[in-house]
Amino acid sequence: MKTIAACSLLLTLPPIAPAADSQWILQQSTLTYHVSHPLHQSEGVSHASRGKGVCHAGQCDFLIAVPVKSFDSGDSNRDLHMIQVTRGAEFPIVTVRTRLPESVAASATINADLEIQFAGQTAQYKQVPFKLETQGGETHITGTIPATLSDFKIDPPSLLTMPVKNEIPVRVDVTWRPQ
Amino acid sequence: MWRTIFRKLHNCLPSVVVTCLFVALAPSLMAQTAETHVLTGRITDASGGVAANVTVTATRVDNGEMRTATTGTDGSYKVEGLTPGKYRLKFEGAGFKTLEIPSATVNGTEASVLDEKLEVGEQVSGKPSPAPRDNLPNAPSSSTTAPSLSDLGLSPEQTQGNAREQALLDKRTHMLRIHQRMGLITTIPLIATVATSLNAGGKNTSTASRDLHAALGGLTGDLYGITAYYAIRAPRVPGTETRGPIRFHKAMAWIHGPGMILTPILGIMAFDQKSNGEKVHGIAQAHGPVAIVTAGAFGAALLSVSVKF
Repeated sequence: MKTIAACSLLLTLPPIAPAADSQWILQQSTLTYHVSHPLHQSEGVSHASRGKGVCHAGQCDFLIAVPVKSFDSGDSNRDLHMIQVTRGAEFPIVTVRTRLPESVAASATINADLEIQFAGQTAQYKQVPFKLETQGGETHITGTIPATLSDFKIDPPSLLTMPVKNEIPVRVDVTWRPQ
Repeated sequence: MWRTIFRKLHNCLPSVVVTCLFVALAPSLMAQTAETHVLTGRITDASGGVAANVTVTATRVDNGEMRTATTGTDGSYKVEGLTPGKYRLKFEGAGFKTLEIPSATVNGTEASVLDEKLEVGEQVSGKPSPAPRDNLPNAPSSSTTAPSLSDLGLSPEQTQGNAREQALLDKRTHMLRIHQRMGLITTIPLIATVATSLNAGGKNTSTASRDLHAALGGLTGDLYGITAYYAIRAPRVPGTETRGPIRFHKAMAWIHGPGMILTPILGIMAFDQKSNGEKVHGIAQAHGPVAIVTAGAFGAALLSVSVKF
């Protein structure tokens, strides 16, 4: 009887392997890149990001992944050129990783160190400021990543022999909810 | 005299263009066995030392066909089974900076030899390599609890690259870039042709003015033909719906395309009538209006992809 009780207790215990204390799921996202050309400005928007945050021992690791092809600038020709120049068929996913203390969820602003893999390259951005707004259990985060083409060794595409600017700031507007 | 110059120019222009294209696209490598081709070489480091276990990847630019080889203990490699064509070459080895050669043409009758030197250092291109993390105060964690792409529900098919598709996109962009440049170049004689039309069709116009107008028109037509060729022959990307200003750009081609054929035909008729001392009559009278509509559609097509409406 004692053996059966002990076995039952063991089965109800959590696994010994380290388990996440809590998790976050990306509820909604809008990522927008901005490209400047002497003749006009253009933006590409994606709502197709997927993301997850795993917290353990007071630290949360976040991962956001977005398909390169999901960015829509409203012009199919421009989008195809974007995919070509960023080697989007060869490296189809952009990933953004960051690690934040669990306590920042209560802050109004955060500075995050981001590691971005894009176009076959990895770039790091230090202390990128984001605004946080928590409402109804969901956390809304907005900010701009100061990305450049040269960070990812992308040759600036040109239109009418004029190249676009090196700066391609990416606006981030994401909503996370705890799982 | 102008007619003679025009005819000579018109006759030799295609040869000049073909020669220029040939020179520009001249192969950088030549190698071939009877049916497939071999690329060999030896990889060394900057000091001339042997670079073993370096992966050499040859990806055919137009269809993504890929062949790989690894350097042996003496640094030599041999990539076999290459069909004639242009290849993108990548040399990757632990402890070396990745070296990429964007385009190398494989053809000819002998095995091609390509020796390269690799610089010591971390990879600078190719597969993503995580940068050092310990210099950041809150850098991404390498712990086992950190989420992965599979945690996000992304399948390996979604995350894996497609070299064939990339090669198709590369070819498309390359051809459309030439299309764009040729279109810009074509604009110059097009404007000049329209400008010289003022002195070509009136009552008191000279033969020289008409000849000049005709020569410029001929040049415009030839350059337009090359421009159109690169747009028409650029590969289509399956599953892509045409959206945005490019739709207008393509629609304009249905006006300036036929116009570029019709305008010179009507122009020749008008030219002959004027040369015979006749007043331009019949359908030839449409030469001017058709040319204006054609030039207008061409300009609108150019603007549609240049300026945001």
